[in-house]
Amino acid sequence: MKNFFIKLTFTLLLAGSYAAYAQLPENILKASGSPANPKVPMAWNRYYDYTAITDVCKKLAAAYPNLVKVESMGKSFTGKEMWVMTITDFKTGDASRKPAMYIDGNIHSNEIQGSEFALYTAWYLAESFADTKFIRELLADKTFYIAPTINPDARDNFIHNPNTASSPRSGLIPIDNDRDGATNEDGFDDLDGDGNIVSMRRKNPNGRYRADPKDPRRMIVVGPDEKGEYELLGSEGIDNDGDGFVNEDGEGAYDPNRDWAWNWQPNYIQNGAYKYPFSLPENRGIADFVMKHPNIAAGQSYHNNGGMILRGPGAEEDLNTYNAQDVQVYDALGKMGEDLIPGYRYLVVYKDLYSVFGGELDWFYGGRGIYTFSNELWTSFSLFNKPGADNSPDASYFFDRYLLFKDAFVDWKPYKHPQYGDIEIGGFKKNYGRMHPGFLLESDAHRNMAFTLYHAFHTPKLSVDEISEKNLGGGLREITAVIANSRLMPTHSSQDLKYRIEVPDIVSLSGAKVVAGMVVTNRDMGITAEQKVDPANLSVANIPGNGTVTVRWIVQGSGAVTVSVDSKKGGQAVRKG
Amino acid sequence: MTLKFNLFTLGIGICMGSSALAQDYSTYSQFNQRVTSLAAANSSMVNIQSLTKTTGGKDIWMITIGTGNTGQKPGIAIVGGVEGSHLLGAELALGFAEKLVKGAATDSIRALLAKTTFYVFPNMSPDAGEQYFAKLRYARNGNARSTDDDRDGKVNEDGFEDLDGDGRITWMRVEDPTGKYRVNPEDPRSLVLANPAKGETGKYLLFSEGIDNDKDGQFNEDGEGGIQFNKNMSFNYPNFQPGAGEFAVSENENRALLDRLFELSNVFAVVTFGPNNNLSAPVVFSPAGISKRIITGYFEPDTKINALVSDVYNKQTGSRDAPKTSPGGGDFSQWAYFHYGRFSFSTPGWWVPKSKPDTTAKEKPLLIEDAVPNYLRWAKSQGITGTYKEWTKINHPDFPGKVVEVGGIDPFALINPPYKLVDGLVTKHTGFLVALAKMAPQLDIVNIETEKAGDNLTRITLTVMNKGAIASQTKVGERSYWVKKIAVKVITTNSQNVVSGRKNQVLDAIEGYGNQTLSWLVQGSGNLSIEAGSPTTGSKKIEITLK
Repeated sequence: MKNFFIKLTFTLLLAGSYAAYAQLPENILKASGSPANPKVPMAWNRYYDYTAITDVCKKLAAAYPNLVKVESMGKSFTGKEMWVMTITDFKTGDASRKPAMYIDGNIHSNEIQGSEFALYTAWYLAESFADTKFIRELLADKTFYIAPTINPDARDNFIHNPNTASSPRSGLIPIDNDRDGATNEDGFDDLDGDGNIVSMRRKNPNGRYRADPKDPRRMIVVGPDEKGEYELLGSEGIDNDGDGFVNEDGEGAYDPNRDWAWNWQPNYIQNGAYKYPFSLPENRGIADFVMKHPNIAAGQSYHNNGGMILRGPGAEEDLNTYNAQDVQVYDALGKMGEDLIPGYRYLVVYKDLYSVFGGELDWFYGGRGIYTFSNELWTSFSLFNKPGADNSPDASYFFDRYLLFKDAFVDWKPYKHPQYGDIEIGGFKKNYGRMHPGFLLESDAHRNMAFTLYHAFHTPKLSVDEISEKNLGGGLREITAVIANSRLMPTHSSQDLKYRIEVPDIVSLSGAKVVAGMVVTNRDMGITAEQKVDPANLSVANIPGNGTVTVRWIVQGSGAVTVSVDSKKGGQAVRKG
Repeated sequence: MTLKFNLFTLGIGICMGSSALAQDYSTYSQFNQRVTSLAAANSSMVNIQSLTKTTGGKDIWMITIGTGNTGQKPGIAIVGGVEGSHLLGAELALGFAEKLVKGAATDSIRALLAKTTFYVFPNMSPDAGEQYFAKLRYARNGNARSTDDDRDGKVNEDGFEDLDGDGRITWMRVEDPTGKYRVNPEDPRSLVLANPAKGETGKYLLFSEGIDNDKDGQFNEDGEGGIQFNKNMSFNYPNFQPGAGEFAVSENENRALLDRLFELSNVFAVVTFGPNNNLSAPVVFSPAGISKRIITGYFEPDTKINALVSDVYNKQTGSRDAPKTSPGGGDFSQWAYFHYGRFSFSTPGWWVPKSKPDTTAKEKPLLIEDAVPNYLRWAKSQGITGTYKEWTKINHPDFPGKVVEVGGIDPFALINPPYKLVDGLVTKHTGFLVALAKMAPQLDIVNIETEKAGDNLTRITLTVMNKGAIASQTKVGERSYWVKKIAVKVITTNSQNVVSGRKNQVLDAIEGYGNQTLSWLVQGSGNLSIEAGSPTTGSKKIEITLK
């Protein structure tokens, strides 16, 4: 009955905003697992620029004031706000004390769908809260910090300027990549002015390429005993600075994902590094935010592409950072990810991808002890639902031709190049190859979100499971309490324990005079370790995942006792004896 | 009063007069006064800027000394106060600036300032340095940020206490059967570790002076004193060590200095007045140090320049018997080489000289490795008093019923000489820095030849030369985009066409007195110009008439 009224009120409240749509709520059958009548209507088959993302964040916060708050983590290089949404059930508990999951996207500006995936997650949590019990319980227990784009400057550059699928990747601070004293003086040039940066080819009887007979748009390498028709000349551009190199010093060209403060290395060791850890203002803002939110226990940073669920270490030199207990937690989560997202593989950055210093996930884990993944969104598996290796070599051309109706390709056309002479310009647009085609975007966003919700669900959940009493005589009582953690993650990762990154958990007794306190290491054998100073507040290094910690106090006098536990990453719990 | 009056009538800057005659190291406000006076009195060659303020609200100064377009000449960055307890480091840096400017009355220094720019960052640890002058005086390196040094969730909860009420923090020894220290048999005023392998047994526990306020068994492990400038740099950063911060380059002063240095492409060398010493004895080349991706040793050509500069240092300062140093992680001087890619030189500027036994007092040579007896002998020979306190019994709340004594050496004494020696040290180190500036890389274009290769076609050949003793860039810097290469540009008119050779190109490093020959074929007639240069070498432009 109560539910009915809530729904009715919602419907009445929303009637106004729906007036413009033909599809009124009463005309709709809910598809399972998707919000049917969202307060913030969204299309999940297209990409949003900074202005649109800002608008969606603000609309969600306005529509769900008890679930979504939006704030800025700082300003980008060009002065854009770094939006982060705090999503939780603000009516239940203190948001800053619930175990939290941090999600961001788009650190590489061309890897843009991370923003839509992050935004989808925020939208889904808010729009499903009323309907879905699991989401209600999750938001009662947990907090999500969701930053849709952490590279807003270059996101807009990618969207609004001519680019390839791989540019800018960087942020927009000018860099002298060729070390000649000038910055950004030789970037791509949209020679034909069509808004795309594609490829250049030139007819050449000694070239090593020819058109693929199956799809002549595609260039293929000729065999060693064959003659070719074309040579390839790289991405659209000219030698603007007359140094004999084409496009060698374009926009930015540092890597924001080499700027993080765990085993950071300078650019001569780690290509892409800027000046020092967090020398990029965007990352600095995030680091400040993370330092101010010690409740963050889990992290996800969305990239593209390749269908990978990545964990650290980023560099082989950091192999010892990850020990067996933590790898167990990662494995359990990562393997679930493989099940939830077909075509995605759970991999380790340094050995399965490439070696990298100063990556974001390395700082989250190495520097803050946060269990973190980076999902590389989009995989060629999704073209025809079979592993990339089983696709034919021209699968992406075939897909474009028959499923996208050639919308993804700029046909080759002649151009007179000031340095190369008669050439042709053509190739795939920037929104194809690394980004999801529209009709596959929402499905993959949902699956990846489901993985992050599973990840968040398994941040610690603490409870005081048992309080038992024994009369020791002489006015003394022995109180034993069992603190349980019913999820996968411990309150402190082993990296956290190794460096004492976060303070220990505190288990406290109140309501009686404590004369002694101890952590019970073996309850059956009565083996304990006494804490002589401040015994009412016992310091516990860690509460393991799906495990317990037993503590004991000797108290004087009568009175009901209360036991509470307070953990930065694990949250709080309390129980009366 | 008389002094001020005299200086005033003579028209000499008060700051110089007062610093030369000061009796002790400068407080923060005296230091600021000296910096601002230096600029005010010498605006034609001195420019000062506060780069940032520390957490403690203190200025981080940058003093630029040079004439003309200072950013376009080879530069040397001089950094002092990298550790707050090393008061001498800040004095040497600022003292150098004062002496150099004073010396500009001479032609040779004026000529040097026309060719070289000096960037002096005199004190990177003003928060910490001020502790020397505080009511509770102790050797402090951390800035004013509140930190949880022992990572127990409480901030600054266990600092020092002045148990004997003498206004300074020294040492505290406790008679205890588990103690690992014993009295140094060569000088009972000092304690040394007992060596069980030699059958020695300890008698004392040794702590810094204070109380275990948080009852965690450790003394004074989390007091006032936050993050240390010289432990917060990105090379070999000591993660989560006390004083290092939560991550590298987290502090205002570290970031402000680095941001500025990265802008200063013309800096070819960095000189640090701090604990590390690669000037008395240079870094030695070790192939293992450069065998891995993350290099930890110097490249061979860079060690050679280090050796060259080290010779100059020893000659200029006449110093010897320097104790061996091994730089700690996250320090500044190693950063300047490994992550900034410039030549980096560092010296403490002073150390306790090796003392000779006073035979009249029947002293014998010291054989046990212990800095304190050597210092005490030297201090006695110099008539220095007040740097050692006799062990005095106190009642200590953490050791009821035990013999606890406070005393020992003043921690400042071992690394900071009596102030009366500072002026002489500044003079010597100014001599070194001037000599270093004269070794700066300097680009020239020589052996310019033009020949007719055909009708309307000229072959131009020339040699780009480094006239300085030091290479145009470090070997390590060759790989960093923050270190600019030598750009060579052929500036043609519309009717001229470069048919061979590159119109615009960049060259790798040219070693000291080294050169590289270039040639072009140019079609056309008339004049063109060729310019070669980089920020660390200066540039040279020549005119060519085509044949």
